[in-house]
Amino acid sequence: MTAAMRSSADDVSPNTDVILRALADPQRRRVLRLVRNREVAAGEIAAHFEITQQAVSQHLRVLKEAGLVSERREGTRRLYALRPESLEPVRAVLEEFWPAALDRLKYIVEAKKETDQRG
Amino acid sequence: MDDRSSPTAPLRFETRISATREEIFPYLIDSNLIIQWLGTSAELNPAPGGAFAVDFENTQARGDYVIVDPPRRVVFTWGIPGSDELPVGSSTVEITLTTDGDGTIVQLLHHDLPSGQREGHEAGWVGCLGTLSRVAGR
Repeated sequence: MTAAMRSSADDVSPNTDVILRALADPQRRRVLRLVRNREVAAGEIAAHFEITQQAVSQHLRVLKEAGLVSERREGTRRLYALRPESLEPVRAVLEEFWPAALDRLKYIVEAKKETDQRG
Repeated sequence: MDDRSSPTAPLRFETRISATREEIFPYLIDSNLIIQWLGTSAELNPAPGGAFAVDFENTQARGDYVIVDPPRRVVFTWGIPGSDELPVGSSTVEITLTTDGDGTIVQLLHHDLPSGQREGHEAGWVGCLGTLSRVAGR
């Protein structure tokens, strides 16, 4: 029990729908923001929420099963961290998708126009 | 808010490009041009009922063109093969080009997205507003 353990979630690649369902809850997205840059203990995560520790544990379980967070045991503590690579499959439908695409379209068309005018 | 009342409300994005509609339109229907801003490879058949297929690094978008009206408007369906939440044909993207002085307003509507997907899109949009306003510069 005292040995550090890697979660089996590290070895699976859940499908896009599982990830999207996990992301569809605002409290779970809040958890993800908390563990985005560093490992955070379950107790510390729970301290950020009004809901019960059990409810937080349930959210962490969903996130872990979706592969969105890793879980590591250190003594009696469970540490969680975002697995950024887990968001890859849904990157296309998540953050900044259409705005970023339209930004690219704007840059490309305007840059080409400028080149054509100079040429 | 009742989640079930909102799935029909489309996502709405807009940007202004300093180019004419005629200059922009090919980027919506040409396989080699579309991948400069959308995806990594594409196979497009820009006619009503023609295939709209764009591959991304880790996913695919599949659908059919519904309307191809140069240089004004393109409508195509949008889905992810094998997805329960966003199956092929389940959502529709509508891109409208409107002349605005010496430029063009590009409006993109994404219709019929399930709520989970829509939240993701909207979160990204809000986060990107600052970037967009800097890019637009006015």
